[in-house]
Amino acid sequence: MSFLDYVSENSTRISFLFLQHVQVVLISVGLATVVSILLAMVTERLPKTRKAALSITGTILTIPSFALFGLMIPLFGLGVAPTVLALTVYAVFPILRNAVTGLETVDASVVDAARGMGMASRQRLWRIRLPLAWPVILNGIRVATIMVVAIAAIGAAVRGPGLGELIFRGLSRMGAANALNEALAGVVAIVVVAAVMDVLFLIIGRVTTPRGLHA
Amino acid sequence: MLDISNAPDGTTDAMIRLTGVTKHYEGSDAPAVAPLTMDIRRGEFVCLVGPSGCGKTTTLRMINRLVEPTAGQIWIDGQDVTHSDPDQLRRHIGYVIQQVGLIPHMSIGQNVGIVPSMLGWDRKRISARVDELLELVGLDPSVYRSRYPKQLSGGQQQRVGVARALAADPPVMLMDEPFGAIDPITRERLQAEFLQLQERIRKTIVFVTHDVDEALRLGDRIAIFAEGSRLAQFDTPLEILTNPADDFVRTFIGEGAALRRLSLLRVGDLPASVDSGEPVDLTVGADETVAGVLEKMLMAGAERVHVAGGATLTVQDMLLATALPKHPALR
Amino acid sequence: MSNTVTSLRTAGTANRDKDRSGWVLPVIAATLAVGTLGYIGTASLDSIEARALTTDVLLERLFEHVSLVVVSTVVVIAIGVPAGILLSRPGARYLRPPALALANAGQAIPSIGILVLLALVYGVGFRMAVVALVVYALLPILRNTIVGLQQVSPFVIDAARGMGMSARRILFTVELPLAVPVMLAGIRVSLILNVGVATLATYTNAGGLGDLIERGIVFNRMPILMAGCLLTIALALIVDWLAGLTERRLRPKGI
Ligand SMILES: Nc1ncnc2c1ncn2[C@@H]1O[C@H](COP(=O)(O)OP(=O)(O)OP(=O)(O)O)[C@@H](O)[C@H]1O
Ligand SMILES: [Mg+2]
Repeated sequence: MSFLDYVSENSTRISFLFLQHVQVVLISVGLATVVSILLAMVTERLPKTRKAALSITGTILTIPSFALFGLMIPLFGLGVAPTVLALTVYAVFPILRNAVTGLETVDASVVDAARGMGMASRQRLWRIRLPLAWPVILNGIRVATIMVVAIAAIGAAVRGPGLGELIFRGLSRMGAANALNEALAGVVAIVVVAAVMDVLFLIIGRVTTPRGLHA
Repeated sequence: MLDISNAPDGTTDAMIRLTGVTKHYEGSDAPAVAPLTMDIRRGEFVCLVGPSGCGKTTTLRMINRLVEPTAGQIWIDGQDVTHSDPDQLRRHIGYVIQQVGLIPHMSIGQNVGIVPSMLGWDRKRISARVDELLELVGLDPSVYRSRYPKQLSGGQQQRVGVARALAADPPVMLMDEPFGAIDPITRERLQAEFLQLQERIRKTIVFVTHDVDEALRLGDRIAIFAEGSRLAQFDTPLEILTNPADDFVRTFIGEGAALRRLSLLRVGDLPASVDSGEPVDLTVGADETVAGVLEKMLMAGAERVHVAGGATLTVQDMLLATALPKHPALR
Repeated sequence: MSNTVTSLRTAGTANRDKDRSGWVLPVIAATLAVGTLGYIGTASLDSIEARALTTDVLLERLFEHVSLVVVSTVVVIAIGVPAGILLSRPGARYLRPPALALANAGQAIPSIGILVLLALVYGVGFRMAVVALVVYALLPILRNTIVGLQQVSPFVIDAARGMGMSARRILFTVELPLAVPVMLAGIRVSLILNVGVATLATYTNAGGLGDLIERGIVFNRMPILMAGCLLTIALALIVDWLAGLTERRLRPKGI
């Protein structure tokens, strides 16, 4: 059976897993975004804590994902919870780092001018600094998303949701008919998810970047 | 191996000779350098000036073949180097650029010693030469030789750049706006020092600048290029100020040509006026510039000045003489 | 696409360079390893656990893992650095974008996907695992070699040419030393990717510490699972720490 035949015959299952994959990724990245931006804001006046947070979340990136998934099992069992949690943990660093650089590199003279106009620090954050830092933060979210799309495939090893299942099933049926097609379908679909996300973020970026910041 | 430093001497007066040298960059219609012919004498300090994009850099870089000429020939010390091994050629031509280009991970001493080591000098000789050169450009070797480039100021880096170019004692130096990125005060000091240095080392120097004043100050002769690398005038500073070849040159040197000449003319060259026998307040040397002498007279409140071994001049004599373009001393 | 991931990791590790000089990471790693071994030594294990966690087995898995990482990293360097140098030469101007795109594509594929596809098509074992690791980890080194060479100031190269240095001499005495920091960052990223992907090599019968994790899941034995996870994490931290040390040691002075 050719690859395309396989895909069309199993399109229901593949699209189900595709959506599941997207869902898991979006949930994890959404959680990570909230956590990261909160962390960035809370540590505004705590440079040491901020450095520590960056350092720790950065080090987590060097931890092999399979080990991190495994580590979640004793705590949360198998399935969706360990997958989402592990993915969230991975996604924090890129977003946090960009949120921090974004907020720190907002033109000091602009902030100064806002202060001169009598804006309170909270107003400055919401009306000046966050909008100006947004493109950088959004890029962090994009990077995190694409990274997590690939890592989510490993979630299937802990019975997590998503397209990784096709890859692992293909492997477990090695030698059987369609084993290769199944794994290949999983791999291709994941690449497609990543590409779709990439485009999605391009569009979001266009739409949400303050007008004056467009190049 | 090509060894232009030991080439037969005196065969020609021209140290650098360009004959019909042309550069045509791929993909552009107009040539960057239209056929250019010029002779640069041994020991001469020649400045190339002209508007941006007129081909000064390209001309300079064709001399050491960092840019390969499309047509024409380049002679250095009587040898046609148009087709010689460029690496060998360049080891015997000093090259200084505005951005200096010191190699960041090598110490100052190593940077200066690069060419000598490529020429196979032994370590002792290189080390002695490095110290000698650093002293020559006014940097204490014991302080600077083991530093790294980024630990030096811009002006110090350019001194090292000059020292590095001089390392193997090349007869020819090519310099592309070497002081262009340096603050005005430091630049003037470097220019003055470099002039003194040139007095001692007597290299043949081709010096690109877009600063007319720098060219007038430094050059024995100045080549003024117009757009499209047309050589508008190639002459001494004084002659260019006195007899600009055309309107382009006149506009290019700008206002104040007459006043500028004051700092180029030497009082010894002025015609002696009739000695009225009145008392003289001040005596100056014959090779002091008119501007310098005027300054002294104004400071001292002197009416007249005696030029050692020559005439007595009044302020008016001097101003008239310098304003007189037809005078033989100015031709 | 995923090149952003590696650039992110590069930047991330650079960010944390200062902490790396400290002893925090190796201490954590040592604590994890000693703690795990201590637990195995003292806990009452059932027969499956006991068999999976003998010292011999642990050492063998560790050895497999380290061999996978070392061999694939050496291969990646041996391919990536020369290829990066060639691609950075002016003559390869037109080859550069497609080559980088290809390397990028290798990375866009999830690591487990590469491993499994190679296993299904060409079979399992150590060699196939190495191939998968190499495909996956090639990009950071290739790209960082090119970037590292490209960021060398053109003026430094111009001055070097002006002094009469040959192209080869400029490459070896000017360009490569100046590119070393960026290249080392790339190598470090590749190394860390390799440690990670090697944990999955167990699925293609190439062993490694991931084998313990897999067994822990399959047999539902938490001691095996935890031992695998903690030892893997300890190894990753140690490798990253060593890589950071080496990176600083090899960085030329003056830049
Ligand atoms: N590598 C190149 N490829 C194509 N065109 C070039 C190249 N280098 C220079 N040119 C063109 O050749 C002309 C002469 O350039 P050149 O750098 O010699 O000018 P310049 O007199 O040194 O100018 P400036 O004072 O700005 O340094 C310019 O029109 C420039 O655009
Ligand atoms: Mg120029």
